[in-house]
Amino acid sequence: MIHRFSTRQTLIHAVLILGAIVVLLPFYVMVATALKSPVEIASGTGGLFGAQAPMPSEACLMQGGSEADCMTRPAIDNFRQAFTKAPLWRYLLNGVIVTAAIFLLQTLIAVPAAYALAKLRFWGRDAAFALVMFCLLIPVHAIALPLYLMLAHLGLTNSYAALILPWIVSAFGIFLMRQFFLTVPDDLIDAARMDGMGEFAIIWRVMLPTAIPALLAFAIFSVVAHWNDYFWPRIVITGERSLFTPPLGLREFKGDLDGTFYGPMMATALVIVTPLVAAFLVAQRRFIDGITLTGMK
Amino acid sequence: MPDIPRLNRPEHRQARAGRALIAPAVLLLLLILILPVVVAAVLSFSDYTLGRSGIGWVGIENYADIFARSSYRKMITATVLYVAVTVPLSVALGLGAALLIRSVGAGAGFYRTVYFLPVMASLLAMAIVWEFALHPSLGLVNRTLAQGCGTWLEGWPWFAGGCSYGFPMWLSDRDYALWTLAFIGIWQSFGFNMVLYLAGLTSVPRDLYAAAEMDGVRSGWERFRLITWPMLGPTTVFVITISTIRSFQVFDTVEALTHGGPAKSTYVMIYAIYEKGIAQNLVGMGAAITVLFLGFVMLISVAQRRFVERKVHYA
Repeated sequence: MIHRFSTRQTLIHAVLILGAIVVLLPFYVMVATALKSPVEIASGTGGLFGAQAPMPSEACLMQGGSEADCMTRPAIDNFRQAFTKAPLWRYLLNGVIVTAAIFLLQTLIAVPAAYALAKLRFWGRDAAFALVMFCLLIPVHAIALPLYLMLAHLGLTNSYAALILPWIVSAFGIFLMRQFFLTVPDDLIDAARMDGMGEFAIIWRVMLPTAIPALLAFAIFSVVAHWNDYFWPRIVITGERSLFTPPLGLREFKGDLDGTFYGPMMATALVIVTPLVAAFLVAQRRFIDGITLTGMK
Repeated sequence: MPDIPRLNRPEHRQARAGRALIAPAVLLLLLILILPVVVAAVLSFSDYTLGRSGIGWVGIENYADIFARSSYRKMITATVLYVAVTVPLSVALGLGAALLIRSVGAGAGFYRTVYFLPVMASLLAMAIVWEFALHPSLGLVNRTLAQGCGTWLEGWPWFAGGCSYGFPMWLSDRDYALWTLAFIGIWQSFGFNMVLYLAGLTSVPRDLYAAAEMDGVRSGWERFRLITWPMLGPTTVFVITISTIRSFQVFDTVEALTHGGPAKSTYVMIYAIYEKGIAQNLVGMGAAITVLFLGFVMLISVAQRRFVERKVHYA
């Protein structure tokens, strides 16, 4: 009996490990290639993570440096090129600006609306809620073309506004926060009113602190979606390099280098993938709970 | 007690506050989501191009084109095939992974973490990595396959063919490109489904299994068929819907790796909207595809809502 049990377990582990290998394969390819020299990449040698034998940096040679001056380790050379061939820091900063601005504006607009829908009685509330529910059905990716036209008519393409504006109202965010606010007891709000608090103060000082878990879940959902988004930036940012978000920058890098400089390209990919993956590894429970809670959209 | 003026009564104050608080959201929803749908619907009957003044109305010509011209028929075929492959497989793999992880003693957390990693990583970045891994000569995949040449694997005709004529160019052969993109799509998304299924599994009451055991249900398969699967019904409906909508929207891999080719074999709808409506400035056509696309997606969402009375799946 015990023997059969362990055979079964071994079999399950075998299947799961096989799956894990397939899932991790591209991550391994990315890391390994980012560490290897061009020769190692072309010949498939260098072991798992490159031999790291000193080599002359091609970029340095092209700028006229002597071979002795240009000696470096492949891993260092790849990352140096990733950060010098393209303004990668700028792209990362843009990513942070855009994701943070989107989330802050989404919160600023969704939280009061959610509070009104959950706790205030007024004429038109049902219609407003029906509108939110209807908007949940519209994927923003699908209406990109008219949104792009509207922004183009306003002369806003190639601007931060174009990257941020279409996302500032999240029907899903309103819905999620409303569901959470519904669970807050009315007594709490009545007590706050007795204390002379206005509705605005109630939202930010009474409701929001109780809804931190929901807000955090929404933050994870929002940041993951917008940091990784490639579709929308691709549409509204055309050629204005200083506005590129990380995925756009990587795409440009690939185009520029004609796909031959695999080492620096994989180093760039690694740099833009790392922040979220690292955050996830550090706070897995939070991320998985957050994604489960917000998985509806 | 003196009469409070009507407008200052608490319920009126509350109503005013409510409307003021919801006004920005309603206004923006109308402007950012509803208006574009209307704009798309109107423009789909035109030959409008950005930058030119005036609009020519062409009636249903754009829609007629979609169903008549072979390139748009290929678009529908590619989209439907992509969805038809990725959805069942990513749902099945998500469920399979969740069940296996639940039944494994040690290491469950490790597997869950690993399988979820692709969900967190930028799909564009990982697409480029996959492109490299699948590179016909430099890539790890074909290099590994080539190591099997000269062994018993050559007994398999496909493999022998690969050894003599070279293994497939996964992304530039029209027989393989769509399947390769579908594979990347499944690789990226099944961990998400796994997490939803894991949440669904924790909500299955333990005593149901105990009760079934008393009724003589012994085998694992019977337990799954009689209890787990029905109890996961709402999760499954939800997972299928969300997977379908997401795979309908595939764009990153197509744009970065195949540009809809070869021979339009990966020309999916969102990429077509981008290429026609934005890159080629054929706005009318792009708008018509947009409308068709929205129709598809809304149909799926409404069907889902009808299917489960509970409006949302709250894990």
